[in-house]
Amino acid sequence: MPVLLPVAGVSISLPLLVGAGALVGFLSGLFGVGGGFLLTPTLIMMGIPPTVAAASDSCQIVATSSSGTAAHFRLGNVDAKLGTVLLLGGLAGGAVGVRIIKLLRLIGSADFVITITYVVVLGGIGGYMFWESLSSLRRGALVPRSQSAARTGAYLSRLPFQMNFPRSRVRHSVVIPFLLCGVVGILAAIMGVGGGFIMVPMMVYLLRMPMHVAVGTDLFQILFTCAGVTYMQATTNQTVDLVLALLLAAGSTIGAQIGARVGRRLRGDQLKILLASIVLLVMVKMAIGLLQTPSVLLAPMKGH
Amino acid sequence: MRQPKALLLATSILTAFTAALARAATSSQPATVTVTPRVVQMGTFYGGAKVRVEGKVTPGSKVVVAVRGSDVTEFFNKVGRVGPIWINTGKVAVSGAPSLLMVFSSEPLDSCLTRAEIDQHQLDAAAIKKQIQIEPQAQGGDPIATDFLKLKVRQGSYRMVASAIETGSVEDGSLPYALEFVWPKNASPGAYEVSVYACREGEVKESLKVPLKVVEVGFPALVASMAREHASTYGIVSIVVAILAGFGIDFLATRLFKKRISAH
Repeated sequence: MPVLLPVAGVSISLPLLVGAGALVGFLSGLFGVGGGFLLTPTLIMMGIPPTVAAASDSCQIVATSSSGTAAHFRLGNVDAKLGTVLLLGGLAGGAVGVRIIKLLRLIGSADFVITITYVVVLGGIGGYMFWESLSSLRRGALVPRSQSAARTGAYLSRLPFQMNFPRSRVRHSVVIPFLLCGVVGILAAIMGVGGGFIMVPMMVYLLRMPMHVAVGTDLFQILFTCAGVTYMQATTNQTVDLVLALLLAAGSTIGAQIGARVGRRLRGDQLKILLASIVLLVMVKMAIGLLQTPSVLLAPMKGH
Repeated sequence: MRQPKALLLATSILTAFTAALARAATSSQPATVTVTPRVVQMGTFYGGAKVRVEGKVTPGSKVVVAVRGSDVTEFFNKVGRVGPIWINTGKVAVSGAPSLLMVFSSEPLDSCLTRAEIDQHQLDAAAIKKQIQIEPQAQGGDPIATDFLKLKVRQGSYRMVASAIETGSVEDGSLPYALEFVWPKNASPGAYEVSVYACREGEVKESLKVPLKVVEVGFPALVASMAREHASTYGIVSIVVAILAGFGIDFLATRLFKKRISAH
């Protein structure tokens, strides 16, 4: 059954769109990642103009993350206090990242930096998560913290503006999540994605938050970030296709519910190794894309 | 002396009559074309449309039908090799090519028209390639034009189909023709043009042009116009609707899952 997407001006199969949304929603519910790094390329492959795909993807993430946040909130996995600090840090970092991209574009090396950043960041995070989770699975659930980690923890506890985050069962200086999220915001702006797949590992490894709370809190901050992006895309580029976003959302919100429930049945290290595998697969695909000779030496402009 | 004069007169009359007959047999009726529908309406569940082009041409003609979109400037990233890595190395603007080109013919195009005529009427990829302008010119024109055409064919925007037009037998001094094709469902709304060429001796002898409109109607038209004309309101509505849809589907899904759990 075909359906016409009014802003894209493209007719496309309804089950195909809802199915793509369901798959991405499942990943979103399971790992707390927005799924933008998977869905946008998929939509482009389906024949949707790149600018409309990227903008409508942000709009569907608003629906998915509101549904996912609600599901995680009921399960007690959203740390709103820490989420707000992360959001502020992310917004500040995003603003810096946009300026860096503008500068790189002037120099003419933006695309090179973006692509290499993708491969390095995805490879680094995915590789570390995979190795760490695999070791953890082999040794059993109880892994003693290393001496260096304990030393880092002692150093961080001496920083000013210490605050309790009871939901996450951690105590940190506000400066730490703000700065970490600032760095993620810079990377997210450079890479053109929501940043969930960087944020969740950072919350788990650096802020020592439980995996499930990290996932719920990440969805909470993604909701606000993507709402802002949707508004800016609608007013600046007029590329938000509400019909496309709602169809994707219909699939993805149901997928997110299933993902959140499946996530509760998996152990933290099992979740980590799954997320690590997906991140590594995307990294390998990008690395192959960099090295393989393309059949056509022209690429439609996707905007950024 | 009378006999030769009468013979001359009879010969003249016969020649004039034969010439008139020959004229009637060859030029006869002017070419005609009817396109149905003239307006393709894209509604909510639009999945492409069948378009029929039919009419009459002078007997002995080969028929070519071209459907064209307007010329647009498209922007691309040019991919190049830096060391072992393929990355975007610059931007190019391609203009002078139609957004859509579908060419149908009653026989293979090169047996209907000479190369010069195909180029003049821009009826195939090679002809379009000669018209394309690439900016900046330093980016290496020919390979870019070739890749642009490959990309258009891959996207389904450029299509050439030989022997797609059916011709009937001569009636009332005219040759009927008919073509039916599926309008590409991914073609954007806008103004298009259907051109019919009657070709003889490798040249276009008659040509007709009919406009064809593709318009969004109903709900898609409402959403598209709101997105264009009231962008700020549309942005806010999009966010609110997305959040409400998220919570609404979440509510339904929660009930559904609860029912399933209680059923077990």
